[in-house]
Amino acid sequence: MKRAALLFFILASYAYGYTYNKLLLKAQASIFPKIIMLDKKLYEKLVDGKIVYTIVYEKSDYYTASEIGKFIESNYRHTSTQYAFKINLVEFSEFSSKTDATAIYILNSDTQVQELAKYANKKGIITFAYDINYLKSGFLFSLMLEKSAVIYLNKENLNSNKIDFVDSLYQIVNFIDKNSI
Amino acid sequence: MKRNILFTLNRVFFTLLLIFSFTSLNAQTNDLLESIYNEMEQFNRVATVTKQNENYQPYIISVFQGEELEKLGVSNLKEALLLTPGVDMTTDNFNNQTPIFRGSNSLSYGQSKLFIDGVSVNNLFFDAYSEYLFLPIEMIKRLEVVRGPGSKIDGVNAYAGSINVITYAEDFEGFESSDKLIFKYGSSEYKMGGFFKTLKTDELKLFVDFFYQEDDKKLPSGPDGLSLGALGASNIPLSRSGDAPVWLKEYSLGLSLEYKDFSIKARVLEHEKGSAYGINLALPENSDRVKLPSYYLDIGYDKKVGDFELNVDTGIKYDAFDSYSKLAPDDLNLSNVIFNDGIYGEHFAAQQTLYHSLYVKYDGFDNHLITMGYRLVREETIDMVSKLSNRTTGDVELVDYSDTLPFFDKNAKRNIFIFSLQDEFWFSDNFSFIYGFNYEETSYKDAGVEPRVSMVYQLDAGNIFKAIYSRSHRNASWQEMFTMNNLARVGSTNLEPEIVDAFEVAYIKKLSSDSHVKTNLFYLINKDQIYNSSANPEYKNAMDSDIYGFEIEYKGNISNLDKLYLNYSYVTGDSYIKDEHRSESLSNAAHHLAKGYYIYNIDRGLSLSAIAKYVGSKSRVLGDRREKVEAYSTFDTAMHYKNIKHDFSLTFSIKNIFNSTVKFPSAIDTYSQDYEQERRTFLVTLKKEF
Repeated sequence: MKRAALLFFILASYAYGYTYNKLLLKAQASIFPKIIMLDKKLYEKLVDGKIVYTIVYEKSDYYTASEIGKFIESNYRHTSTQYAFKINLVEFSEFSSKTDATAIYILNSDTQVQELAKYANKKGIITFAYDINYLKSGFLFSLMLEKSAVIYLNKENLNSNKIDFVDSLYQIVNFIDKNSI
Repeated sequence: MKRNILFTLNRVFFTLLLIFSFTSLNAQTNDLLESIYNEMEQFNRVATVTKQNENYQPYIISVFQGEELEKLGVSNLKEALLLTPGVDMTTDNFNNQTPIFRGSNSLSYGQSKLFIDGVSVNNLFFDAYSEYLFLPIEMIKRLEVVRGPGSKIDGVNAYAGSINVITYAEDFEGFESSDKLIFKYGSSEYKMGGFFKTLKTDELKLFVDFFYQEDDKKLPSGPDGLSLGALGASNIPLSRSGDAPVWLKEYSLGLSLEYKDFSIKARVLEHEKGSAYGINLALPENSDRVKLPSYYLDIGYDKKVGDFELNVDTGIKYDAFDSYSKLAPDDLNLSNVIFNDGIYGEHFAAQQTLYHSLYVKYDGFDNHLITMGYRLVREETIDMVSKLSNRTTGDVELVDYSDTLPFFDKNAKRNIFIFSLQDEFWFSDNFSFIYGFNYEETSYKDAGVEPRVSMVYQLDAGNIFKAIYSRSHRNASWQEMFTMNNLARVGSTNLEPEIVDAFEVAYIKKLSSDSHVKTNLFYLINKDQIYNSSANPEYKNAMDSDIYGFEIEYKGNISNLDKLYLNYSYVTGDSYIKDEHRSESLSNAAHHLAKGYYIYNIDRGLSLSAIAKYVGSKSRVLGDRREKVEAYSTFDTAMHYKNIKHDFSLTFSIKNIFNSTVKFPSAIDTYSQDYEQERRTFLVTLKKEF
């Protein structure tokens, strides 16, 4: 066990990966968890009474995923809400139907993510992506730093009866379809 | 009855609870939406200030992050600028190195402006900033390079481009930088040590940076200008070849203070370097030197009241040209006076610039941001010394000629008044315009009204279009106006400002959140370019030139473990020489420039990187019979190690690994050979963060 823990530590210390835009990561980590709480059917998506925010990452991005998780946890402490919040870190290769999630946030991946998006949409899991290109694969939200910060919402997924946000949210997002990405 | 009352009370209570819950839910929703809105506003502000939304700005800009440049083994500002599309470097006999933007007038210095944390630092004497080109990269948080005059703001004219150096004094809540200690060692006995530190309380923020650096660099050169008769035909045999002293010794102390709505920015830069190729084109002694000190103090006041924002800025700058060197070799014959021990000279001219500006921004009209204000500048020479070996007897001892035969007009003065009006108009979420003008009067020649119109259209998340028209100017530098009693340079106060009308269109394709391809076409109509030559040493508005070309830039990655940056630029054009009524193709400019870098992260702490640069050949000015300046390619490589546990990093880099010959062109009838630059060099950097 000790050896395994040590090995994990070594791997974690030497995790590496994609060079993410730190400001964009931070903007997404600040805003996405708040969007979850605007879901009218949030209570149906809770896992053991908690909001589980699952960050899915490639092995080389472990450090980035972990930093995002810590940031969200510390940020969430200052947000008044009725539900407890839990961060769940999962590698793309380990994501399965058994993975707990109220919402999924994906970092960049070398592999196709359509299946993941399809599964999440079917289950009514709210999905967020670092890169707007993943909205083409069926993810629901992304955020870009354009002339101003813009939240993008995938138009095609809105028809799902499991997706139902407060109306005011729809007034501050930009709807987008596959062809305009 | 009792049951009915209880039932009624229960109903009322339940209804009240529902109303309360509903109101509470609404309140929570409103709080969340307000919080999202506020956070988006804050990220907008940071993204705009830090140019992370560069693709949506109404000008042609490239942004480089300091930490990424460190990983690449880039040593200083000059090396970083050479990665920018369309930017090349040139030099002169003082080794006054100057970035050339899009091939525009390689013989003038001030066509681009350098700003350090928003303060314009071009010196008054040359209108150049070569003293800042060696600013260590570790002091630079971000480098923003705008090509073209499109970035013209608040009355400071950028002609061919502007360079914004942002130091770690920039600070946002949640994005604080750690304090750092830096040591570097490299070829030519290069040594550098520096630090920066931030002190903060609730209302006060103090940032200090300091560095010292020196080297003992020499570059092969010659035969010197005497070989072509720069000091008369009788002295041609005295011409020499040898090592040109281009050593460097400098230190800088910078300070930035913020207290409530007030800010102070100050810097002392003491820059001393070898005399390079000699003021009078005779190869100098190794100890001969030029000092180019630069000091500034800038006091700002920013206040937002309702729909108004007030920005007031007042400052003072000091710069000097301070040369002491052997100007001519032993046994020189000048008008039959023999200087057995050569000619020595001391030339000193100190300049002071006082400025004040006031700008008001108003956003009370829907979809408009109006900016209006003025800038006042007073420039003057405050001290001048001109000493030479005795011109009558040939005795080597210095004689003070400051009053009788000055090299410079000690009463040089210029006042400038600039008025600006600009409106930023958002026609829709995807379509914005900026239009306005600058009006400038000076105590010499006026630039007058200079309009600017730009448009940014975002078709969708991945496609952005820009179109820009702007007119800008460069006022003649002190050297071009006030130099006198000199064989190589004669100033003129009748010079008109150089004027450029720039037409630029750009298209940006966003490939993902972090990758893009940017292209732009530009057409620059330049009037009254200031120029002199050894055959005709008086500065004149000698030339008009039309320059056009394009730039293409890619930033992205091949895999999840790397980063790739590539750019290519093409420039061409024609110059019309007014006095001679003839045209020639664009000279002293590389038509093709290609640059790029690649970083591969081996693990979280270790990365390997490479930089490649190609600079195409340059044709000579008409009458210069030498072959074209040869094209060259250079390759650099670096290994960067970061120890996350102990917060230190080590970078080892080798520049020009294939030992290519890099030459900057020498002007016609000066040095017969071009100015050769350093070959293969190495650099080791140790950085500790606290």
